[in-house]
Formats: sequence, C-alpha cells, structure tokens
Amino acid sequence: MKKIFLTFALGLLLIGGLKAQTNSVAAITYSIGFGSGDMGDFISQPSFRGANFDFRKIIAPNIGVGFSIGWNTFYQSQSKDSYTSGNTTLTGKQYRYSNNVPMLASATYFIKPGEKINPFVGLGIGTIYTRRNTDMNLYTLEQEAWNFALQPEVGVLYSLNDQAAITLSGKFNQGFKAGSELTESQSFFTLNIGFAFIK
Amino acid sequence: MIVVTSMMWGCYPGGAEFVEDTDAVLTTFDSKFDFASKNKYARPDKIVVDVEIDNGDTTYVYMKDVFAQTIFDAIDENMEELGWTLVDISEEPDLLLNPAAIKSTTYFYSYWYDWWYGGWYGGYWGWYYPPYYTISSYTTGSLIFTLVDPNAGEDSPINQSQASWVAVMNGLYVGTYNVSRVTTAIDDAFEQSPYLKTN
Repeated sequence: MKKIFLTFALGLLLIGGLKAQTNSVAAITYSIGFGSGDMGDFISQPSFRGANFDFRKIIAPNIGVGFSIGWNTFYQSQSKDSYTSGNTTLTGKQYRYSNNVPMLASATYFIKPGEKINPFVGLGIGTIYTRRNTDMNLYTLEQEAWNFALQPEVGVLYSLNDQAAITLSGKFNQGFKAGSELTESQSFFTLNIGFAFIK
Repeated sequence: MIVVTSMMWGCYPGGAEFVEDTDAVLTTFDSKFDFASKNKYARPDKIVVDVEIDNGDTTYVYMKDVFAQTIFDAIDENMEELGWTLVDISEEPDLLLNPAAIKSTTYFYSYWYDWWYGGWYGGYWGWYYPPYYTISSYTTGSLIFTLVDPNAGEDSPINQSQASWVAVMNGLYVGTYNVSRVTTAIDDAFEQSPYLKTN
C-alpha cells in the first residue's frame, strides 16, 4: 500500500513538474537585417551581423511582458564615385557603416501557449541608437541618433521540451526621426532565429 | 579564447584594404569665373615639394624631373582635351596653372592596458597585465593644382588673384612610387571638372 502511495505521489509530482506554470521566456537569436527607407538607400546590402536578446515575464497564460535588446551592423563599400555639393566635388571610395542598437519594452501575445507550435505577435516601444559612419580617404563622417522606436514582431516558438524551444521571428524596427545629424528616420527589418529558454 | 577572438574578428565589417583605397580627389571652382571664354594657359616646369629655411635663406626643393614630367604630361593631356593651349608665360596666358606637392606625417600615440587577457606570455600560462604603448604614424601625400587668372589682381585692392579652380589629390603616401595612382588622380580631377571646357 505504501509502495502504491509512493508511486502515485511520485507520479503526481512528475505530472506537476511537466505541467508547471511557465514563468518566463528568454531567447537569444541570430539576426539578419534588411535596411528600409533612408537606411536602405544608404546601405542596400543585407546585414549578417546581428543578435538579439529577448526576455518576457509571463503575466497571464497568453501574455508576456519584458524587454528586447539587439545589435545589427550594416556595412557596404561603394566603388569609386563622385559626390558633389555646390561647387565642390569629391571623388573616391566610400565605406559605409550603420550600427543599430534597439532597446525596447515589449509585450507579446502567445496564441497557443503550452502547445508544441506556439505562434506569437508582439510590440515593442523604446529607442534605437543609430550610429552611421561614412568613411572616405582617411576621414569618417559620424552621425548619431537616438530614435523613438516601435518594433512590431511576429514569430513562432517550436518546443523541443518543456524548457527549450526554437524561435523564429520577424521584427520591423521603425525608428522615428530624431536629432539633427540624421535627416531621415531609420528603419530596418530583421529575421531572427535562435533558442528560447522556458522557465 | 582564440575561437572567440576569431569569431569577433569575423564579425567586424571590412574597410579600406589597399593604400589606393584611401585616394580622394577634391575640386572646387569659382562659379562666377568664365572658363569658356579663355583658352591659353601657362605653367612652371618644376614642382615645389618643400621649402628649406636655413638662417633666413629660403630655398625651394623641387620634385625630381622624372616624376614631375609624368605629372606635367597628365596635366597637359587633360587640358588639351578640354580645349586649352599651353603657352609660355611671356605669351599672355589667360590662366596660370600652379602645381605643388606636399607630404604630411601625422603621429599618434596610443596606450592599452591589457588587464583582462589571459594567455601565453614569456613561456608561462596565466593572467598577465602587460601595458602596451605604441607610437604610430602615417604619411599622406597631396598634389595641389590651382588655376589663377594673372589679370584678376588688377581688380583686387591688394593686387591678389583668387584661384578660380583648386584641385587636391590626397592619399596615403608609401615609400614606393606608384605612377598610376598619381595619373588616375589627375585624370579624376579634370574629369570631375567639366566646366573647365573652353569653346
């Protein structure tokens, strides 16, 4: 009888462990970026240098709130060309860089929590720090901006077990015009793939 | 550590790889000057590269003829294409073309206290704290051409002629003389100045 009770208790404990409430989701993703608008005009090549860290505290079965931070570096070398401003013309090779660090408070709605395939949608509000460098000759023109930013996101979590999942998502980083150094708003799309750790 | 370092290195975007990638050509002109109505120019047959002052005596240092000739050939060829005729200074030229070449060296000092780096130093593994001091320098070479109307001084209260065209060709200077870098820069300077064309 004692044995049966123990087995039963252990079984309950196991089920309890498996069914444990999800407290938080933390994800580390590799991020590929595509510039749009003014940034896309400046650098048309996609960026393969990027990473994100996302954390969501689960406050309701479907809802997580937390933060997203990331870093995307865009780079492009221009072949020799001439740039004219007024009476002055400058010819040479240009090396263009755009470093972007989105930092946002985010909320995510999980459509099928607890299931193997769990799609989600989210929105982040915060800032994107942008530093644009245009290198020519031995000089660099550095332009910075702290853009107010919105970051809508759609994605999916594919559970590997109750503690880990593969995450795939698309984020659109819309930074609004800020400061006097960059005359246009800065925006880019990222495709993110990585691991999510569920607690 | 090596793996991490090489991964970081792989993340760093590229930039200028060859000294000629730093070459830049800048031209500017007086928009009120009527180039089209002129067609004769004169130039010296030597290029000043330095000025030596010794006990108040000033001596010009000239570029070696073999190098200067290449530069003059490139100038004359481009001017001829634009419709200009080379004349002697005594034959009342409309414009004087003054070439000059300067070399400038920039020194910089850097200090790096490598406190966090563990590794193999002097035959032992461990955490060492070697401070690094480096003094580096780079040298740039510039060719400067000006086109000046010798008669414009008559209209100036201080009897001075303003340059109606200035071209600066600048790049990293290296010990070896690369004639194509120089002639390419000269060709670019004239190519980006189509307003120099005469009737």
